[in-house]
Amino acid sequence: MKHVLVLFTLLVPQMAPAQSNTAEEGLAAWDRIYQVTSSPRCANCHVGDNNIPMWSGPSYGSTRPHGMYIDAGPSRIGAEFIPCSTCHVSSDRPNLTPHSAPHIAGLWHLAPVEAEWFGKSSNDICTQLRDLERNGGRTAEDLVDHAAEDAIVAWGWTPGGTRVPAPFSQAEHVTDMRIWGAAGQPCPGD
Amino acid sequence: MQLTVNGTAYQVDVELDMPLLWVLRDELGITGPKYGCGIAQCGACTVHVEGMPVRSCQLPIGDLEGEVTTIEGLGTPDALHAVQQAWIDHQVAQCGYCQSGQIMAAAAFLDLNPDPSDQDIDRALSANLCRCGTYPRIRAAVKTAAASLKGA
Repeated sequence: MKHVLVLFTLLVPQMAPAQSNTAEEGLAAWDRIYQVTSSPRCANCHVGDNNIPMWSGPSYGSTRPHGMYIDAGPSRIGAEFIPCSTCHVSSDRPNLTPHSAPHIAGLWHLAPVEAEWFGKSSNDICTQLRDLERNGGRTAEDLVDHAAEDAIVAWGWTPGGTRVPAPFSQAEHVTDMRIWGAAGQPCPGD
Repeated sequence: MQLTVNGTAYQVDVELDMPLLWVLRDELGITGPKYGCGIAQCGACTVHVEGMPVRSCQLPIGDLEGEVTTIEGLGTPDALHAVQQAWIDHQVAQCGYCQSGQIMAAAAFLDLNPDPSDQDIDRALSANLCRCGTYPRIRAAVKTAAASLKGA
């Protein structure tokens, strides 16, 4: 048994937290994570290979593509047409004006096409997030760090203006990501 | 703080959250960039920062990193930028208010995409509003400018 545990630790180093969680706790955490990932604040920029960001959710009225005929292109930063950074400038100042282009202290961009979340089911997003081939090669711990440290992720909870933030808080989301990872990243379809 | 616009260094004493557009127009008297909406939805204030297009109404001066180019610095009457020449050749402007932003957006676009299709041009320049509806002439002028730049 001891050898099995050592092997397990070696094979799955991201699963070596100070605590472990049950699959039940992991799925409960995932339910909350899905509320975040499927919220318009996050999903609007986690779009598919048409590379067109969406305007959806309570801040926008009806669901529609980003105004101004915007297409972020295969670069996902708009390099082929008009760079996202033309309007979404880099600044760490708070977003105060309701209808201005929001900004972060970094490069505004779409999520990679592999991380398409817009309109996807809980199980679809869950299996994508735990798939190293489709999540940027991130281990469970890397995903926790990403949720805690990425500037554009953090903006989801501080969108400013009259924009509705992602549900819960960033700290709660990070905790849920940690619980989900420690539980072995269970998905509803498992 | 210091900033460089069209190759000239300036010193301004302003709040760091003042948008670049305000600095250009009200502090430096550089009035090519226009105020249209103030919320990045019209493009009339488009300038270049280090060659990249930026809505100057959106950029707090304290976050400016790099040299600014406005329509005044894109070309000169004796040596027009290819986009400016194409704009004249196609007589694009009607009222003209949006045109400095259109030209700055088009010039930056052609830097990144030197051989655009009509669809590419529509994608790139639909974010610059023209209430006169000069879009067909804008599209034609961008194609002419692209050909001119490729031949240069």
